[in-house]
This record gives sequence, structure tokens and C-alpha cells, in this order.
Amino acid sequence: MTDHLSHDILSALADGELTADQLASANQHLAGCPSCTSNALYQSLLKSATARAGHRYTPPPELRERLALLASQTNSQLQPRGIRTAPIPPSRSFGRFGSLGWAAAAAILLVSLSLVFIQRTAQRAERTSAEHAALVTEVFDQHVATLADSQPLQVISTDRHTVKPWFQGKIPFSFNLPQGLPSDTTLDGANLTYLGNQPAAQLVYSIGKHRVSVFLRQRSGKAEANELPAESSGFHVMGFSTEDLEAIAVSDVDPAHLSELVGAIKHAQTGDQQQPK
Amino acid sequence: MPWKQSARETGRQESGFEELALPLLPSLYNVAFWLCRNATDAEDLVQETFLKSLGGFDSFEPGTNFKAWIFRILRNTYLTSRAGLAARRTVALEDELNESGESGPAQYPEAAIDRQTPETNLLQLADRTALIAAMETLPPPLLEVVLLCDVEEMKYREIATALEIPIGTVMSRIARARVALRAALETQHGSSREFRP
Repeated sequence: MTDHLSHDILSALADGELTADQLASANQHLAGCPSCTSNALYQSLLKSATARAGHRYTPPPELRERLALLASQTNSQLQPRGIRTAPIPPSRSFGRFGSLGWAAAAAILLVSLSLVFIQRTAQRAERTSAEHAALVTEVFDQHVATLADSQPLQVISTDRHTVKPWFQGKIPFSFNLPQGLPSDTTLDGANLTYLGNQPAAQLVYSIGKHRVSVFLRQRSGKAEANELPAESSGFHVMGFSTEDLEAIAVSDVDPAHLSELVGAIKHAQTGDQQQPK
Repeated sequence: MPWKQSARETGRQESGFEELALPLLPSLYNVAFWLCRNATDAEDLVQETFLKSLGGFDSFEPGTNFKAWIFRILRNTYLTSRAGLAARRTVALEDELNESGESGPAQYPEAAIDRQTPETNLLQLADRTALIAAMETLPPPLLEVVLLCDVEEMKYREIATALEIPIGTVMSRIARARVALRAALETQHGSSREFRP
């Protein structure tokens, strides 16, 4: 068989865009061509993998609020062509009760503004809490994925002079790795990853037989690592922030050991060369 | 021209701009970020798109495809934005794409395909970071069709309306994008195999 299915046809097959005739013809060919069958399978897998990878960025809440306000302000004035309603004639009684009307309107405006302010404050608190929960979930997911043996680390080394330079040119910030580590703690390697749509360094350590992931990213000011919950789903979470960096550590090791490692990494960032005990 | 005809949907659309546009904000922002490659430009692009859509909502015909309509505005706004102009200076888009041939020759060697097994294919595709890196290498015309097709799950007809190109070109670009993605994943997989002990 020499005439294999073209890339266009294989691609359209994965997208469900072939006509009935094209589909019948493609199926007939696939029945006798392992090479094209393999390619067709790859196209379908690629499509679903791309769909997952492509859902990557979420709009910041401020943008959503701004645009919602913009849309709601103009929504009442805007209707698509053909469904406009007749303009409302001005009320005849408006002139008679003009001053009273203005006073009432001002009072209603004040009350509305107060209500909006209270609502916004409550929403902001809820959003911060939701951001923290989302960050913790993301950190857990990535740590658990790292625990799977099927996903090797992108850089495997116990040498900090190998691990740190590996990130050069890959992340828009720099960090230090501690010279000395707490007892029974070793550096295993690292991954380049993403947290909250920001590039992050995932440092992987072992404390005894427990693995620890320490995520470092540029400080965004959105979710303070210090405010993260101390424990969730059986894992302990700790964090710290410096002027430029935000660090989040997660592991099922006991909190005292995790705290020692986090302290050592924090000292390395702040330039304090105090060695961990 | 056939691709200039909007895809009509059954039923009369009587919603206001807010009801139609706000649910699409996550999709618009995601595509904008992919195209602009940074949050600030993406926010500017989406806001500009909203403003233009609001201004032009009068010209939107109820019953036609609003998603394709607003994505067309986003795309046109991107093309004239700082990020879009920079991208066009970097890549001579239409020349690079060579869209005269719909099918086009294979851009990866047959031998490379023969080396692959279903297991290696799955390993490549399971590596999200590698796939994101591969997507970032796509030129904007290929990236946008992949995003609209795979991520936004738009049909070829809708994509043709949004991008103001013929359906045949949509089909061709999607095929080319996937060939390029596969080649990029192959390259990455090959280099990582060499790197890892």
C-alpha cells in the first residue's frame, strides 16, 4: 500500500470533520494499513493532550470584575441589531418632584455603594481563601505526580552546583540552595514546573524515605506562602516569602524535619549562612 | 466568499452583551495569553477586545455565532497589537506556512515514525511540560488554530469564520500544526534521552 492517508485527512478524522464519503474511504484504508492506523491513534491522543495542556491561563479576578462592570454598565444600553426596545419617554411627574427625586436617588446611591463595598470585601476574603486552596491543591497534585516512579525528575543530581545552574535561562528568577542540609536529608534533583501559571522550580529532597517537594517561584503578592494551611490531606505544608521569592514545601514527613529543611532553604535565600543543626 | 458567511444557529438570540461575553472571558484570556506570551499584554488584548465588541455589538446579528464573532475581534485586535506586530516581524507568516499545498509533504522523517511505539508516543504526550514547550514553538497562525480547535473545541466552520480564512486553510493549518508538534516532541524526547543517564 503506497497511498497513505494525508495529514489533512488524519487530522480531520481526529476532529470529526470528515464527510460521510471521506470517513468511509478513510475507514476502508485504515482497516488494511497499520501505519495509518497508528498515525490516526497518535492524532487523537495528541488532540486530547493538547486540549489539556492548552487550558493553562485563567483571567485574574481584577480583570473579570473590571470587564463585568464595564459590560453591566453598557448592557442596558446595548442590544444587538433588530431587538431594540422603544425608548422610554421621560416621566411627566419628574419636574414636579425633582428635588425630592434627587434626594431619594442620592440616598439610594449611598446605600447601594455601602452594600457594594461590603459585598466586595466579603468576596475578596472568599477569593483569597479560594486562591490558597487552589495553590495547595496544585502543589499536592504536582508533589504526588513526582512520587510516581514513572515520572523521572528532569534533572537528577545530589549536587547543588548541578541543580541550580540547570535552571539558568529556564526561569525568570534565581535562587540559592543551602550548602549544608539537615541530617538524613539529601537533594534528589529538580523539575521545571508551573504554579498558578508562573514558572517555578520544584526542588525534590529525601528525608529518610520521605520525599519533599519545595516549590520556588517569583513572589506575586497574590497568595502569601506564609498563610498556607499547615496540614492538608495527610501532607504537611510550609512556606516562606522573601522580598523576591515565594517558597512552598510539601511532604508527609513529620513537621519538625520539614521545618528544618525549609529553614535551611530560607537561610540560603536571605544570605544568612547559619547552618542547620 | 463562503468563509465570510457567519454560521447561523437556529433560534433567536435575544441575550445582552454581558450574558454572551462574560462566560467567554476565560477562553478569550487563555487564547490571548498564549498569543501574547505575557499577562499584561493578554489583559490589554482582552480588554481592548471587550471594548471593541461593546462598540460594535450593534453590528452583531442575533442568531449568528457570537463566539466566532468575538474571537474574530480578538484575533484582529491581536494582529494590530504590539505583540502581534512583533510576532509578524519575527515570522513571515504566510510565506513560512506555504499554504498553496493543502496536504503538504511530511515534515518528519518516516524513519522517525517507524522508531516510535505506542508506549513512546504515550510517554511523549504525558509530558505536559514538553507539550507546552512544543506549543510555544508554533508560529501564531498555527497556534491559534490548534487553540481554537483543540482547546476551544470549535468546528472548522466556526474557526474559518473567526479567522476569516477558507475552511480548507483551517484544515491545512491544523494538520501542519500537529505535524510540527509531533516533530517538536520527537526532538525533545530524543534530546532528553541523550541527556538523562
